[in-house]
Amino acid sequence: MSASGNIYDLGYQGYDGPRLGRVAVTVGLLRATLAAAYGIGRGGRAKVVPFGLAAMALLPAVIVVGITALVSQAGAGDALAEASPIRHDSYLSVTSTLIMLFCAAQAPELFGKDQRYGVLPLYFSRILTRSDYALARLGGLALAVFLVSVVPQVVITFGAVLAANDPVTGFADEAADIPRYIASSAFAAALLTAVAAVIAAWTPRRAYATAGIIAVFIVPPIMVAIVSELAAGDAARFLLFTSVADILEGLNAAIFGTLAASPAVLAADFPEWVYLAATTVGIAGGVALVLRRYQGVSG
Amino acid sequence: MPLVTTDALTKRYPGGVTALDGLTLELEPGIIGLVGANGAGKSTLLRILLGLLDATSGSATVLDHDVRTEGTTLRRYVGYMPEYDCLPPDVTATDFVGQMARLSGLPASGARERTAEVLRHVGLYEERYRPISGYSTGMKQRVKLAQALVHDPRLLLLDEPTNGLDPAGRDEMLALVRRTGTEFGIAVIVASHLLGEIERVCDHLVAIDAGALIRAAPLGEFTGHTGTLVVEVEEGSDRLAAALLTAGLRAVVDGRTVLVDLHDDGPWDVVRDSVADLGLPLVRIQQHRRGLEELFR
Repeated sequence: MSASGNIYDLGYQGYDGPRLGRVAVTVGLLRATLAAAYGIGRGGRAKVVPFGLAAMALLPAVIVVGITALVSQAGAGDALAEASPIRHDSYLSVTSTLIMLFCAAQAPELFGKDQRYGVLPLYFSRILTRSDYALARLGGLALAVFLVSVVPQVVITFGAVLAANDPVTGFADEAADIPRYIASSAFAAALLTAVAAVIAAWTPRRAYATAGIIAVFIVPPIMVAIVSELAAGDAARFLLFTSVADILEGLNAAIFGTLAASPAVLAADFPEWVYLAATTVGIAGGVALVLRRYQGVSG
Repeated sequence: MPLVTTDALTKRYPGGVTALDGLTLELEPGIIGLVGANGAGKSTLLRILLGLLDATSGSATVLDHDVRTEGTTLRRYVGYMPEYDCLPPDVTATDFVGQMARLSGLPASGARERTAEVLRHVGLYEERYRPISGYSTGMKQRVKLAQALVHDPRLLLLDEPTNGLDPAGRDEMLALVRRTGTEFGIAVIVASHLLGEIERVCDHLVAIDAGALIRAAPLGEFTGHTGTLVVEVEEGSDRLAAALLTAGLRAVVDGRTVLVDLHDDGPWDVVRDSVADLGLPLVRIQQHRRGLEELFR
């Protein structure tokens, strides 16, 4: 500290520049949260898990685009498109486990860390209210999850358009699916984020939060599958609502107008609107619980 | 415009603990020391002033803004340094303070400039680009002060800013607090249970105990000079006292020191001459001040 005396003598300058309002600051925190969900702004190791999972979610789409390009040059593109298991309507079930792992890895980082290290008083002693903070965090994680889910779908669309003999016809074939996969990805991102955020916000210890999120996402679908195999009846049907994966599966099938891939969803045979209602209730409930947590937490 | 006013401010925690008990204050800008024992209600008061905590009853204003209804507005102009650890370990000081600047409403370019400026002021140089986990307690305290200053507040609330620091670190932190209040022109309220520290940086003092006001006044009124001169010598205090008595002063021996009654400036010269005549090893000649500790007796 020997040089400090000299440097101090430069004098203090105040700040007379512009100051942004609450909305701009909330949006800024949302963007910072989106970046943090991918480990941007932290060391290289923080990027491995989010980018790794996003890359794994993207891999099937890249493979399918590559094969489609090769096969369509051989003139059998349409036949392949019919037979491929990797389509817009089935992509969510291909990647949902990866998206859940993304939530389990990143939600504790975004909802637990500030509590664990006592940073919240520094946030709440600034412009944002507690609810602004919670909503910015939720929005940032939801956007990050949405990207993991939707980018592979966009890649498939680009691949299909480029591989088609006539790009205009190729795009016309794809056009109907674009709003569907955007909607399906958005609902999936919102529900998975809401559930993961509740657990992470109420469980500041990182390891417990991650384990809890994985358990809540992975265990119920297994239970549902087993019970729907063994027993029929309303109890088995309504158990479906404990499984986020099955709710999203049902909603995805409803959006695309296809049959669900999950046997449990097929067996339960609920009307399509039930899945939309369950998703909406799940999102609203999750957001409410996260907001409540930050009203109460000391800071 | 008063800096802070409180009117019958009371805070009872759910467990039945009364942290503030009808506190009424009016503070003018300056460097204000908020003293009291641990648990006297200092942190609770600061957190209510920030709008982080709701009072049970009573009201308070900061910079003329009601803390209950205008929290968002007033927090723009207030910086807060909490007592406890509040820094994430895996980001650099630059990134963290920059983020806090953005959260106070500074646009990206302004946030960058202010971050560089304020980290320089608190004395963080090359370290600012390393993760906070590798910082010493002293460096962490500087980052905490920097984030409170980064948006150029008009009022700084510091809760035990020398917590965990070694004596050299304390001196540096207190010097920074003093500079903030004097050179930067920012009003400061610094809460501390260490009277000796408060005495060194503040010009105004608020003493609270069990959530109630003991006294609020300029520091001088707490620690005014007394009419006693303290003369410390390594040896021969008896001989010195005898010499002073002969010279017509009232002097009492207290171990190695001699306490001399001081009614005008005369005794200073007599003491100096007597010490020189006797050839005594002099340690200090000082006017005795009332200690702050007497407040809490």
